[in-house]
Amino acid sequence: MTPVKTRTSRNDVGPTAVVPESAPPVVRRRRKPLTWDKVSFFGVFLGLPLAIYIVFVISPFAQAFYYSMTDWSGFSSKMNFIGLENYRKIFTDDIFMKALGNNILLVIFLPIITIILSLVLATLVTVGGSSKGQIKGLRNSSFYRVVSFFPYTIPAIAIGIMWGQIYDPSGGLLNGMLTSLGLDQFKSYAWLGDKSTAMIATMFVIVWGFVGFYMVLFVAGIKGIPAETFEAARIDGAGRFRTAVSITIPLIRDNIQTAYIYMGILALDAFVYMAALNPGGGPDNSTLVMAQQLFFTAFTKSQFGLASAMGVVLAIATLIFSGIVFLVNRLTGGDKDVSN
Amino acid sequence: MNVQQQSFARRGFLRGALAAAVLVPLAGSVASCAAGGGGGSTGPTGTVSDANPFGMADKSTVDAVIFKGGYGIDYVDFAGKAFESAHSGSTAKIAPSTDIAQELQPRFVGGNPPDLIDNSGAKAIGFSAILPQLEDLTSVINAKNLEGKVIKDTLYGGVLAPGTFDGKLAALNYVLTVYAMWYSDSFLKDNGWTVPKTWDDMYALGEQAKAKGKYLFVWGKEAATYYQEMAIASAIKEGGHDVRLGLENLKADAWSHPAIQSVFKALDKIVKAGHFKPGGSGTQFTAAQAQWSNAQEAVFYPSGSWIENEMKDQTKSGFKMTGVPIPTVTSGSKLPYEAMHSASGEPFIVPSQGKNVAGGKELLRVMLSKDAATNFAKTKLAPTIVKDTVPADGFGSTALVSQTTLLNAAGSNIFTWNFVDLYGMNKDQLVVWNTFLDGKSDVATLTSALQKITDKVRNDSSVTKIEVK
Repeated sequence: MTPVKTRTSRNDVGPTAVVPESAPPVVRRRRKPLTWDKVSFFGVFLGLPLAIYIVFVISPFAQAFYYSMTDWSGFSSKMNFIGLENYRKIFTDDIFMKALGNNILLVIFLPIITIILSLVLATLVTVGGSSKGQIKGLRNSSFYRVVSFFPYTIPAIAIGIMWGQIYDPSGGLLNGMLTSLGLDQFKSYAWLGDKSTAMIATMFVIVWGFVGFYMVLFVAGIKGIPAETFEAARIDGAGRFRTAVSITIPLIRDNIQTAYIYMGILALDAFVYMAALNPGGGPDNSTLVMAQQLFFTAFTKSQFGLASAMGVVLAIATLIFSGIVFLVNRLTGGDKDVSN
Repeated sequence: MNVQQQSFARRGFLRGALAAAVLVPLAGSVASCAAGGGGGSTGPTGTVSDANPFGMADKSTVDAVIFKGGYGIDYVDFAGKAFESAHSGSTAKIAPSTDIAQELQPRFVGGNPPDLIDNSGAKAIGFSAILPQLEDLTSVINAKNLEGKVIKDTLYGGVLAPGTFDGKLAALNYVLTVYAMWYSDSFLKDNGWTVPKTWDDMYALGEQAKAKGKYLFVWGKEAATYYQEMAIASAIKEGGHDVRLGLENLKADAWSHPAIQSVFKALDKIVKAGHFKPGGSGTQFTAAQAQWSNAQEAVFYPSGSWIENEMKDQTKSGFKMTGVPIPTVTSGSKLPYEAMHSASGEPFIVPSQGKNVAGGKELLRVMLSKDAATNFAKTKLAPTIVKDTVPADGFGSTALVSQTTLLNAAGSNIFTWNFVDLYGMNKDQLVVWNTFLDGKSDVATLTSALQKITDKVRNDSSVTKIEVK
């Protein structure tokens, strides 16, 4: 009864309003007067958040963009407008280009490695268990789930410092273990000091820190899939791998896309890990990222205009990256709704 | 229909808001250029006298921000107390910071910087960026200290040079740092080795050390440029002040100077012979220093005289840390073997826009009094620029005694350079030096990479250069 009542009360303008198409156009164009009620509603629910957003988000962006076209030193209020000179400078600067290259390297590998690893783990603890009876994960899977989440609870800077110690050439845990296994070539081997291993060692640390978190994210996604779907697939004779590829991944596609974008944005920043493991940018700048170069340019070289330009490039790179991820997802059929 | 109409109204509102969002900050940022930088110093309101030479107002507050590094900030607290007892009613507000540039940048732009800053540490503000905004401190050194002597006459020679830019005494560097090659006197004697005076002797000692499973040097990834300091000092002794001026003025062939090249070659020979403990490019610098001071895996370490204080807790007992001059290439070097790289560090600056400029200067004057300076030498085991504050026993520190010995032996042959810090080159140079000390490059690569860093600064028209004569 109740829904019917509401409907009538809404439409009780008269019998003409029953058929909306026949409503006179005059009524449609007439603007309702701005009542105090409406204005205050706009003010509180739209104006205030928008003002906060403009002041604290949009205006710093716009300001940074303006500063990027000046030669501002950062410590005075004087600056000259120099147009796109800063952009020309950073795109011809070999160190910044190297940093950009490193970021691209991170953006390609970090999300893929992290997501594949966490997907495998998530599958194992949710649907990877015994192939008889109810669909379930490996034995003690709740224990693994908690343990693998541990690294995510440690602050990034602490992870960096801890792994810095583990990688220490002389007294580090890693070389200690390797040499005790009889691999003497790793005595005093500088994992973070060698061009060929510094980036890989650093990536490992980041992956280590995030696998647990994304695993939990995917576990939640997989738990949302009805168990019947998996059971049906199993009855049809699909193995665990086939189930993961044909059932799990398509059904949690949105989660994977989100994870990919988050991880990619992290890879484009990566400042904390890089600064903790190799504050100077690593051997031959092999672990230098744009955010670090931005920081050095601003605070040690006092070239805030140039640093702002780097910030703008970083922001544009991030936008392009998420655009590409959306596009790839769309092109591979991600917009098709497979859940029904 | 009603619903649709409302959505249009909302969209219109949003569109307007977006347009405003774009326009407002643009207008704001333009306005902020014109605005900002207000403030300006207030004139002296106190009476000028010998006890108050800068005319600080009565019962005023001095706002000081001090870099909290190896020396801490308690020595300024000590001076602050003396300041408060000399000017009853006035207070010295002393705040520590480990990140001077980042923390104070907004205050400089906003026109309300502190009255006194210790602009030091890895994140110090580059002087070329703030030079026009600093007070000339000549009035401070011309004033009388608390004991009634003119401050200028109580200072070591040459200590004002590092703080003088284009003829303006913009910074008063408080602590005297002696750069030397440090070693354990007891360790060297036990092994029957002597201090090498040339690089050839150094190589020979390296071979002897190798036989006993020791290395000549250790290095850490953040401190690889300590070896650049050592190389430059050795090259200046070998080739004279030409070398220094070439580097300071960013000459196109500065690093190719024969003296620098001969030092690089000598170092390269030592690196390739394996006399550097491997893995330094992946070792944290304090961990590397402990390998020298505690584990004694290496014989020497080139560093500033802060090293004793820095490694206080990680030095083997009976180490007897001693400093000696950096070796030269030949015995016929242009400057004598005893010539030293010594610079006054911890630059104290007084921004002109501070609220209490006179107060900033006054606190600095108190710091330069004999009491405060002696307190510093005693607690930090490092001399200040104020003469005669270290007794003959060096408060029981062999390192402090050797600093005094080194300074006296060098006499007037004391030099320093600023280009690395002035133009913020250290970060780029670290990369190059880590590779070189790792044995992964050679003299030619090292030279061209360092020259490239120099060239980049020289060719950057947005960087203000300061000519050194």
